[in-house]
Amino acid sequence: MKKKWLIGMLLAFVMVFASACSSSSKETGSGGNGDKSNGKVTINFWTMQLKPTFTDYINGMISDFEKQNPNIKVKWLDVPASDLEQKMLSAVSSHTAPDVVNLPVGFSTKLVSMDALVHMDKALTKEEQDKYLKGAWGAYTTQDGVRYGIPWYVATDITMYNADLFKKAGLDPNNPPKTFEEAAKDAKTIKEKTGKYGFYPSLDLSLPLQYMVMMGAPLLNKDGTKAAFNTPEGLHMFKYFTDLYKKDLIPHSIVTDDEQKGVEKYAAGEVAMFSEGPQFLTQVKDNGPDAYKATKTSEAITGKSGKKSMTVQGLVIPKQTKHEKAAVKFALFVTNAKNQVAFSKLTPVFPSVEEALKDPFFTKVPKNAEPVDYARISGAKQLKDAEVLIEKKGNEDKWDDLQQAMFDALQKSMLGKESPKQALDEAEKQWNQILSE
Amino acid sequence: MRRNRLTPYLFLIPGCTILGAFIFYPMLKAIWMSFTDYNMLSDPKFVGIENYKQLFQDDMFWKTLIHTFIYLVCVVPLLVILPIFLAVLVNQKIKGVGFFRSAYYIPVVTSMVVVGVIWDWMYQDNGMLNYVMDLLGVIDQPIHWLTSTSTALIAVMLVTVWKGLGYYMVVYLAGLQSIPSDLYEAADIDGANGWQKMIRITIPLLMPSVLIVSVLSSVAAMKVFDEVYVMTGGGPLHSSETLVFYIYKEAFDKLHMGYASAAGVILFLITLVLSILNIKFMSKEKTA
Repeated sequence: MKKKWLIGMLLAFVMVFASACSSSSKETGSGGNGDKSNGKVTINFWTMQLKPTFTDYINGMISDFEKQNPNIKVKWLDVPASDLEQKMLSAVSSHTAPDVVNLPVGFSTKLVSMDALVHMDKALTKEEQDKYLKGAWGAYTTQDGVRYGIPWYVATDITMYNADLFKKAGLDPNNPPKTFEEAAKDAKTIKEKTGKYGFYPSLDLSLPLQYMVMMGAPLLNKDGTKAAFNTPEGLHMFKYFTDLYKKDLIPHSIVTDDEQKGVEKYAAGEVAMFSEGPQFLTQVKDNGPDAYKATKTSEAITGKSGKKSMTVQGLVIPKQTKHEKAAVKFALFVTNAKNQVAFSKLTPVFPSVEEALKDPFFTKVPKNAEPVDYARISGAKQLKDAEVLIEKKGNEDKWDDLQQAMFDALQKSMLGKESPKQALDEAEKQWNQILSE
Repeated sequence: MRRNRLTPYLFLIPGCTILGAFIFYPMLKAIWMSFTDYNMLSDPKFVGIENYKQLFQDDMFWKTLIHTFIYLVCVVPLLVILPIFLAVLVNQKIKGVGFFRSAYYIPVVTSMVVVGVIWDWMYQDNGMLNYVMDLLGVIDQPIHWLTSTSTALIAVMLVTVWKGLGYYMVVYLAGLQSIPSDLYEAADIDGANGWQKMIRITIPLLMPSVLIVSVLSSVAAMKVFDEVYVMTGGGPLHSSETLVFYIYKEAFDKLHMGYASAAGVILFLITLVLSILNIKFMSKEKTA
């Protein structure tokens, strides 16, 4: 009898403990640590993987802001990129979301489709919005024109190539390829003459879709209800990659590797050319000094459409925030021209405000210029024409599935399981099915 | 007297609390979640057995389930049998045996990420494995270990086996050392050779350890994730995607928490049935 009673007690104890855990988290919202008693608010600011390189920069920016706004205190937390989504998820689901977060577009679209983010087109004045590059707004905008993130730093892919390998292959190191067709031709020459791979067009994440757009195939029809890429241009894209793969002109592991692997291969001197944001050059510099020294840069490789890509990192403000005004104020401060130019001087990214791009830092080649300097100037030059290539047209919540379906079909073609035409037809069928759900 | 009765339960409270809060409560909650439509952001909606219905019609679910079974069938026998020989080897009284024991155990304590990166290099087209095989004249063309749909799963399995050997070796080693040496002496007097001693004495007396190893390794095989995540990401073309990896993708990439929980519950049931069968079958064999 006693035993049963004890076990009952134990169980009850466990239950109480467990339920206490789940309910207590609901009450401490983001405002929980915002001390309002003396009129001072605390906002939580999350960045993605900026520590320790930018610790001083961020702290300096925060203390400037706090001096100008004595009523607002900013608490900074840096989260590793790989943990950000999960941390953000658990924060939002337990009602402890931070007030300002550097959240990538892909994940932000999920949050905005669930109506969890503050709409910037309402929170900012038109004047404030117009300071940012038009192309940069393209990223954090829904089909209905809702802007849900303030562009912070942007990147645009440029071509980085190993001039030594070009010379060895008998190619002109000052005349890198400008189109996918030229890149394939050069890749062949480089492979034949040096045994190295000439080209590394990563197929990670949304890149296959970007290639499709660059080669002139639209992804979706006007209202975003049907796939539109089953065109001669789309077929050309499938054929292009299948051909490169079958002829062993791009590394075999490209079907499973992420874009990071491409940077590593380039730094190791195993690949002669890749298209990425200039920020990847710092990695090349650290890991492959020889490849870095031989690096030259030029405008991005593109296809028939002539389009150039832009990727944007933005700041979002979760709707759960209790201090929306302070959060917006801080987000505008972080992204103002002065702070952005200072940020770009620390790392090869570009500012999202037009005024900042006029700084001589982005227009004039300095003395003793390094590849990074040339990369910055090549990039800044094409930034005005660059745009966010992928328009999701209201299909934000389905985008992962669509992207996966395209990648699966492309792989089938590359691995020889299906002909390019069959694979493209299947991709179209899959897309239409996903879009109709 | 009364106090004495209470004391053991007091000692049990911390353990039970931790188990309850971090194992049983999440488990129960996952079972409940499997009947809901939940994306972690809005409140869960109860949908009954809808998730299960969808799951059984989902090709990817069946595909990854089959991969998991292939994994089980290939990896478990290797992990049950090979470590016995290793354990017998390092149970000899020879010089430097401590070195070998720790050497075989090193992969077990090495982080899976490190192991994954190392094997990723070994499996490259111009990596160690292809180089050696080419040198021996076994192949003309490099094998695309991790990037071909026919070999990716096998390549990942090999790593699981390589990493697991040492752990199960230690389990067997403990078993071996509890076998009284007079049995072997008696066998020597009867004129038994090494192989006969192995079959007639070592293996039968190791059966309890074999049981443990087979249960542990089958549960581990059902749950395989790290290797896949680090080395292939499930690719190419989902050819190395296992059930747990699929659950992870559904839950954390696509935020289909309810759906992923349903798949998790199925995995739990399969593992449970397998473990019960394993124990029933093995303990019968032992007494027979």
